[in-house]
Amino acid sequence: MNFLRSILHVSLRMAAGLVVSLAISLAQTPTQSAPATSNVKPNSTTIPVAYPLALVQSGGSLFRQNCSFCHGRDAGGGESGPDLTRSKLVAQDVDGDKIGAVVRNGRPAKGMRSFDFSEQQIAGLVAFIHTQQNNALRRKGGRKGVDASDLQTGNVEAGQQYFNGAGGCATCHSPTGDLAGIASRYRGLELEEQMLFPRHAKSKVAVTLASGQTITGRLEYLDEFTVGLIDPTGTYRSWRTGDVQYKVDAPVNAHVDLLAKYTDADIHNLMAYLQTLR
Amino acid sequence: MDLLKAAFLLAVSALMLAIAIPGLMLAQGADEQMLVHPPADSWPGYHGDYSGRRHSSLTQITPQNVKNLALAWVFQTDQLAQIKSSPLLVDGILYFTVPENIWAVDARSGHQIWHYTYPRSQGEHIGHRGVAIYKGYLFFVSPDAHLVSLNAKDGTVRWKVEVADATKGYWTSMAPLVVGSRVLVGVSGDFDNLTGYIRAIDPETGATQWQWNSTPPAGTPNQTTGGMTWMTGTYDPDLNLVYWGTGNPTPVLKGSTRPGDDLYTCSIVALNPDTGMLVWSFQVSPHDTHDWDAVETPVLVDGDFHGEPKKMLMQTSRNGYFFVLDRTNGKNLLTAPFGPVNWSLGVDEQGRPIPNTDKEPAPDGRLIAPDEGGMTNYRSPSFDTRNGLFIVDAHPSYGIYFAKPADGVYGWAGADYGVWGKGVIEAIDYQTGKIRWSHEVGPEGSGAGVLTTDSGLTFTGDAQGNFLALDSSDGKTLWHAGSGSHIVSSPITYELDGRQYLLTSSGGILFAWALPQL
Repeated sequence: MNFLRSILHVSLRMAAGLVVSLAISLAQTPTQSAPATSNVKPNSTTIPVAYPLALVQSGGSLFRQNCSFCHGRDAGGGESGPDLTRSKLVAQDVDGDKIGAVVRNGRPAKGMRSFDFSEQQIAGLVAFIHTQQNNALRRKGGRKGVDASDLQTGNVEAGQQYFNGAGGCATCHSPTGDLAGIASRYRGLELEEQMLFPRHAKSKVAVTLASGQTITGRLEYLDEFTVGLIDPTGTYRSWRTGDVQYKVDAPVNAHVDLLAKYTDADIHNLMAYLQTLR
Repeated sequence: MDLLKAAFLLAVSALMLAIAIPGLMLAQGADEQMLVHPPADSWPGYHGDYSGRRHSSLTQITPQNVKNLALAWVFQTDQLAQIKSSPLLVDGILYFTVPENIWAVDARSGHQIWHYTYPRSQGEHIGHRGVAIYKGYLFFVSPDAHLVSLNAKDGTVRWKVEVADATKGYWTSMAPLVVGSRVLVGVSGDFDNLTGYIRAIDPETGATQWQWNSTPPAGTPNQTTGGMTWMTGTYDPDLNLVYWGTGNPTPVLKGSTRPGDDLYTCSIVALNPDTGMLVWSFQVSPHDTHDWDAVETPVLVDGDFHGEPKKMLMQTSRNGYFFVLDRTNGKNLLTAPFGPVNWSLGVDEQGRPIPNTDKEPAPDGRLIAPDEGGMTNYRSPSFDTRNGLFIVDAHPSYGIYFAKPADGVYGWAGADYGVWGKGVIEAIDYQTGKIRWSHEVGPEGSGAGVLTTDSGLTFTGDAQGNFLALDSSDGKTLWHAGSGSHIVSSPITYELDGRQYLLTSSGGILFAWALPQL
């Protein structure tokens, strides 16, 4: 009886499966083969020979489905994702050697998930992104997005005064020490983002065990339940937060405290000053 | 002998069909009664019930025993797409989605009953919130802006209708809302200057019953477009009003071509579900230039407000303000920020924030709190009726906003970058807007929604991917489990066979939790 029931069940399931696949094939939409839409305007004169128009168009279509929400229809930035036409990584990429890895692995720390695209699909994305960057670079004036030249409205002296005074920057930083040449290492928007919150800055942590022994290192992981560090030998070690005492030293939090205090003029002035540190 | 066997098989099959048919008759799907008063063994809509409170009366899992919570089962989609949907539960079967996919899964065991895939389509594949059910029919929207009706039994397609023109830049991702014999569907599309709308569709035929437009047709001089309707609204059966949040205006970051308030963008609207007529509206962000949709759940609460019984609507909005409205007429009862807000000059006499024009995006940048992702986003809050607390996954944050002439006046029309943010679960006293307790959930912020239960539990998650159970009275952690990925969905709960389940998801995996069985 059970055996019979399972046979009946399986055959019903198979029938259902057939209907589903039939429905799918019936519902194939003609938009699959539709050309790239009007927002993506691949200009044939600017497409490098290496990227055939058809590849750029298929990449553009895939980009619109999966990437454009964050990076914008034209790869020039959208909700939460950076402007890829101004991306250093894209500029340094050769035929997908860097872009491919980002697409396949995602950037979990920045909220970008990974995608299991085929080689051909990634080749299309790479062709589309490079084409968009080339198109953007060829626009001499009036380019959209944030140019370094847009960030020159501040006053150097006022910025230096803020750095040494109200901003409290000089407490941790020195224009002849850690910040010497900062404007050569970072430019424009990238420099401003570093200034407002250097998100890759590392914190230190001191963990005191029940035995009284204290271990210090670079804070590597922290949630309510686990604290992890890289000790001076380069080894990762972790403890349950309930079993130890720990103290985090995060000087980067001074940047967070400033966010509530800055006027926009303070930011522009500070940018003007930092841009003199070449 | 063979003949005998065949005859026997036939007889048994006939018998089984006879047994099976009454069984099928019992499984009615979701009727109106179920949608208005969902039984404990169901979760028949995106929010569970129509109120949007995500507060369950189930009490088997308690603050005392939640430490024993253990896995009942896990379902793996074997896909990289993150589960952002809230599963539906009807007749013991869970239905949940990622873009172009629906799974029907046994709520007792977690095994797959069927899996539907929509043909690969144009349009954004950014996320999917789930399906709706009416009788035995499911309703599912696609990246290319179609509404598909399927038989809940086996996932076969009944019909498919276009809801919006995907070639113009629309897409759909929301879970439809069934009200009476209408399926209400909203649309998405921020990268083009398009009109937002809600459409009521006949669940039997797919015919359009009415459409309410949130903004005038594209190209109307000095008028806004936008006001997308990309999240599921709520419904008050007694007042017969549907409540919906509308999205931001377009062009998004530049307001020069759309002077004035830009109605009805960034608004909470009350519609008559029979006609689609607007009954009242309240704009939470007049003339928005920061992409702050007001689509966050309009939560319906009946209770005391400053000594008077009120039918209220509450929203923690993406723009950083918590609003309490009288939902009979849309009049404001309370407006209070629930985190750092630096873009307004205060609140006007109607309870609306007054935007500071100096904080509109500019060529050299403006530092804005909150950031574009907002003080909260699409993941659900919960109203804990027991403690009178509105509990939300908040995101105190700062971003920099830019716009210049070269960015144009179409679609995004500017650029913005997040600077810093963190996640905090906040319990807001709805009578004062004061934060009763808060619980930090990590850098950048958590993507988990909130569910509360009558036993005094708050279920949510942190930025590192831990599922959390908190004490609703003080926010203290009572249970956790690492999930191994980001949580970008809201939990649900149900009771089957006398056992309470908590359902959470992270990455492409669905987790069912319950107390260990004896």
